[in-house]
Amino acid sequence: MTARGFLRHETILALLVLVALFVLDRQSDRFLTVDNLFNQGRLMTEVGLIAIVMTFVIVTGGIDLSVGSILGMTAILIGVFWKNMGLPLPAAIGMGLVVGAFAGFVNGVIITRFKVPPLIATLGTLALYRGIAEGVSEARSVRGYPEWFFVLGQGELWGAPTQLWIFAAVAIVAAVVLAYTTFGRTTYAVGSNEVAARFSGLGVDGAKIAIYSASGLAAAIAAAIFVSRVSTTRSDMGTGIELDAITAVVLGGTSIFGGRGTIIGTLLGLVLIQSLKNGLSLAGVKSDGTVVLIGAVLILTILISNLVHRDATR
Amino acid sequence: MLRPSLAAMAVLCLSTGLATAQSAWTGGDDLPTNPLACDGTPATPVSVDYDGGEPTNPPDRAGKAITVVDVPKLIGDGYFDATSKGIAEATAELGNMTATTDGPVEANIDDQITVIDNYITKGVDGILFAANDSVAIAPVLKKALEAGINVVGYDANAEPDARQWFVNQAEFNGVAKSLVDALAAEIGGEGAFAIVTSTFTTPNQARWISEMAAYASACHPNLTWLETVEAQEDNILSFNQANTLINKYGDELKGILGMTSIATPAAADAVTQAGQCGGIAVVGLATPNAMKPYVESDCVKSVVLWNPVDLGYAAAQVLRATADGTLKPGDTSVQAGKLGELQVINGSEILLGAPFVFTKDNIADFDF
Repeated sequence: MTARGFLRHETILALLVLVALFVLDRQSDRFLTVDNLFNQGRLMTEVGLIAIVMTFVIVTGGIDLSVGSILGMTAILIGVFWKNMGLPLPAAIGMGLVVGAFAGFVNGVIITRFKVPPLIATLGTLALYRGIAEGVSEARSVRGYPEWFFVLGQGELWGAPTQLWIFAAVAIVAAVVLAYTTFGRTTYAVGSNEVAARFSGLGVDGAKIAIYSASGLAAAIAAAIFVSRVSTTRSDMGTGIELDAITAVVLGGTSIFGGRGTIIGTLLGLVLIQSLKNGLSLAGVKSDGTVVLIGAVLILTILISNLVHRDATR
Repeated sequence: MLRPSLAAMAVLCLSTGLATAQSAWTGGDDLPTNPLACDGTPATPVSVDYDGGEPTNPPDRAGKAITVVDVPKLIGDGYFDATSKGIAEATAELGNMTATTDGPVEANIDDQITVIDNYITKGVDGILFAANDSVAIAPVLKKALEAGINVVGYDANAEPDARQWFVNQAEFNGVAKSLVDALAAEIGGEGAFAIVTSTFTTPNQARWISEMAAYASACHPNLTWLETVEAQEDNILSFNQANTLINKYGDELKGILGMTSIATPAAADAVTQAGQCGGIAVVGLATPNAMKPYVESDCVKSVVLWNPVDLGYAAAQVLRATADGTLKPGDTSVQAGKLGELQVINGSEILLGAPFVFTKDNIADFDF
């Protein structure tokens, strides 16, 4: 392995994760147990699904702030489709996924067709989608889902939490697509130099619309899992989840200016944040202290990475 | 394909609502009421079978030192600072129980679930909680019960089978009685008043209004209800609505009842600015901090709520009694230290007592 390869952001991050796991393991004998790790995976899945697609979004130089609101809106609509409109639950979930992907598609269209910067466009839809969620729900929650539905969020499949399998599948597909396909290379090209990408004949707008739609779809899948995990539907679900996802992506080494980033990095970022949250709590640190520490780790990691990559272009 | 789904969404947005139930007073709900006796004789409790949960194979904790975590809706909030103060008072008094308060920094269902989950993994003897959502919190609390942990709620309930006991700070009919009694005392038992609420469909407010209507018609027949106005829990709208009431009814209006922590201070502000202090009584549900200026200037005489310090104290006492086995399913009361004997109601709830009335004499002692 060359020196440069060794100093990749992902390598530094992986070392940090190992250090964190080691230190946290010293603090509590309940941290590194199979039960706890599976449980943490369960708690991480929703943010993880969103963060994986968010990696694509940020690699193109964009951002999607509306994912938390899409999660809330989809969750409410799944409940309304099922309870108020009397659809069978699988159909209601299917329609929820369609609505989620469509909400992402709308983001994509606003960004590409009307040339609105992604930050502004999704800030607008963040308010819009949350407003729809609150309007439709009228501050009431939908509950009383059938028992079989809880398998998705609370149950196990082949010895592991059900949603971890979905998460693993999405992560593997996303990693392959980003690293080894034409679409992945187009994503990097758009983020590195959009004008050059256009003149090279790449379908820039198409790629962006696809990515934002996928982001909406990921939020919708997360919504279904979330509803199943907590067994109820509320319009304030997913509030602030976009920031957790962006934190994981940026911590994972994806450049906020686009053109750089990997799924592995995002996964490491997710694992680091989740282990800190859980491990610190088990070590007796209260939630407010944990929040401060995660912020500090984020800044520190980016600083180290930037120092090491001082010579490289950012 | 895309257009129909947009249209469907629009129809959904429009078709909901519009079905507001009518009761004696606008803004109430249709549910049956259960007014208390005028002289405050406690109602004979209807015996309901215990409907709470049970921990699975808990170790024998009777008299032993136990560690407890208190997970309020959020931390860093004056109200829940007061409940944890009450919990600390109880643990200091008991001596064989340590409690830490930890919770989400925002009132977020997911963060709260995660906090509780981590404490189950860490291993505690008891969990005290105030739920951000009664159903969403249920799976993680059931997990705690399965791990043999004693679970007691306060302030905001969970599904009954997800916890053992819930300390209920005030029943709807109790709050209604306190509000109407305070109003009647201030305006001399006779006169007209109006209500400022959040919206006609807000569940708690609608319940209180219905209970007030039932209690007033039985115990204060000379009070005349004029109207109920909606103010959406919005400061400016609440002020404007109260102002409109003052101008609309003039001398006829003797009192305003505020149903939320936003509406009550806004109504007091409107009365102050209209120079009607003493002429129009303002009574309502509100937190003491919001009302201090008006209570200290004598414009408002009574603010009705419950005492959160006592609430936390009672919750800790109930948890200790549950761990000791002195409070068992089927019991009708529990000894709660300095609060004395508290009643068991609705199967597995413990009633804190009559609501607390903040007045000029005691309001400075509270900071939330």
